[in-house]
Amino acid sequence: MDKSPKVDQMETKQFTLFDILLTLLTVIFFAFIILVFLMLFTAVSANQLLRQLSSPLVLASIRISLQTSLIVVCLTFFFGFPVAYLLSLKTFKGREFLDSLIDLPIVLPPLVSGLALLILFGGDGMIGKILGHWDIRIIFSQKGIICAQLFVSAPFFIKTVKESIAAIPKEIIAASATLGASSFYTFRRLILPLSKNGILAGLAMTWTRAMGEFGATSMVAGCIPGQTETMTIGIYMNAMSGNLEAAVAVGIILLGFSFISLLILKIRFKRSYGYHY
Amino acid sequence: MGIIIKNICKSFAKQAVLENLSLTVGKGEFHVILGPSGEGKSTLLGIMAGLIQPDYGDVYIRHQRVNKFAPEKRKIGFVFQNHALFPHLTVYENIAYGLRARGINGKKIIKIVAHYLKLVKLQELHNRYPFQLSGGQKQRTAIARALAFEPDALLMDEPLSHLDVLERERIRDELKRIQAATQVTICYVTHDHSEAAALADRISILHRGRIEQVEQPEDIFYHPKTAFVAEFVGADNVFNAELVRANGDTTTFNLNSPELTGQLEIEARTYPVFAGKTEQKLCLHPEKIVVSHTSNGKNSFLVRIIDVVPQGAVFKVTGEISGLKLRAVVPKAAFKINSHTEKSWFCFSPDALHPLCGRSCRAAISQRACNNPKFLL
Repeated sequence: MDKSPKVDQMETKQFTLFDILLTLLTVIFFAFIILVFLMLFTAVSANQLLRQLSSPLVLASIRISLQTSLIVVCLTFFFGFPVAYLLSLKTFKGREFLDSLIDLPIVLPPLVSGLALLILFGGDGMIGKILGHWDIRIIFSQKGIICAQLFVSAPFFIKTVKESIAAIPKEIIAASATLGASSFYTFRRLILPLSKNGILAGLAMTWTRAMGEFGATSMVAGCIPGQTETMTIGIYMNAMSGNLEAAVAVGIILLGFSFISLLILKIRFKRSYGYHY
Repeated sequence: MGIIIKNICKSFAKQAVLENLSLTVGKGEFHVILGPSGEGKSTLLGIMAGLIQPDYGDVYIRHQRVNKFAPEKRKIGFVFQNHALFPHLTVYENIAYGLRARGINGKKIIKIVAHYLKLVKLQELHNRYPFQLSGGQKQRTAIARALAFEPDALLMDEPLSHLDVLERERIRDELKRIQAATQVTICYVTHDHSEAAALADRISILHRGRIEQVEQPEDIFYHPKTAFVAEFVGADNVFNAELVRANGDTTTFNLNSPELTGQLEIEARTYPVFAGKTEQKLCLHPEKIVVSHTSNGKNSFLVRIIDVVPQGAVFKVTGEISGLKLRAVVPKAAFKINSHTEKSWFCFSPDALHPLCGRSCRAAISQRACNNPKFLL
């Protein structure tokens, strides 16, 4: 067992001028963040909040957001996991290129992503035309919301899982092979359990991102109340039409959702073993 | 036969690591590959296990060419330098891993794992996770895991290098005991020559991607064939010598090392390789020098003691004569010196010197051209 003192256990009790400056800047930053959140809560009373939450349109937007984002989480897992596995463990030509491509939807403005999806799935678009033959319509439908959320949020999952798999020491995987384990057995018994926290963290991030998606979704699905109006689109539409009460009510729910999911992530999915192998 | 390596070549980024390397490890043999760090020892083990593909050459395990076999098809156990235990599995599950992967049934697994837990003395700790184990316990788990599926050979990549001295000696003894009990063929890589001497049936010295000498430990240490092997195994005294005259059983040389300021004459036993040559490289093992306060006649030199380093039960004594440094290893009880500037006699018999022929012959000592008159040119 490792008995050597850990660097992170050492404490420095003296504060230098530099530390004080850093602390001051940190306080200003957090004051700004907290103030923004507080303003949301001061905008409506508890009664107004409850009234808005029982409105059919607000309830519909919550239902649509949960429904589409959960489908996106499932799709992300099934398509994203093989991508993360290949990018982290296999060496092949074009890997760097694919790796950079994954980052693109994260840095691309969501409106541009939405525009591209609109062109692709539109009536004259490459895929839109083909799907049109079977009367499948992506644009201005919940399928469009799913496509937009998947495009924007799946890279968060892939990146997190890729890093999690890449952090598994190569010797462990080599040891598994020398013990007679096939690639699938190694995947099932080693890679999956050892990257479990990364997978769960990636799924949580994807879900949070999908729930909060606005730009691409509004381009592809529009904002048909009760049909394609997600929570974020609802906030925008209500705020623009002067119904601040409804916008803030949905905003508070989204904020609570994001905060709780991040908190759970931090508490529950801390790496439990490290690699003290 | 255990493992045969034939003409293996391997380069990384156009840098040759192994060059036309051939090696045979006998069945049931404890074979140690000894060499400095960065000389390709781990690469060689990786090639044997199928974890690294050679650029050229063949690997045979039990007479079967396995070049195209994936690691999981080679039936070779591997113990890594850093143990490479599965952190989310207990000691028991780590040992059972290879058996489960091979589809062995549950009852048999319980029996086999119990046997290997007993062999490595970890019965009490079978429920612990790797992070709850000491370095030695982790390494014993790794050994049991690699042995549990009864591999044709066990490859070990510097398995003791992360352990403290006491633990290292303990595991070394256990490893010897385990090998005797299982009769498994072991190919073991290390840069520590004392570890190699303690464990090996035979030692291969790897240098610059080639095997320089393959011999039993005794022969490697007392009859090195090249200057590199001599210095690497601690036979520090290597001289360039010029033949003066042959006196039948003995031959007289003048040392002509560049650092020498005066003239030094020494006598060596006559070896067949001396014939027809005026220049010779000679090696003198430090343990064969006697440090004394009186001269012993031939090959006795009054040296100035410049350094004395205690090392376990011995002193490593460095003496200087006419600019030439001589290193001796003497038992602590047999050496008394008051000051580092004191002078002492360094004495050695003509038999203590032997030539570094530099040839890559693989013959046993008695069959070597440098030793045997029948090969005399």
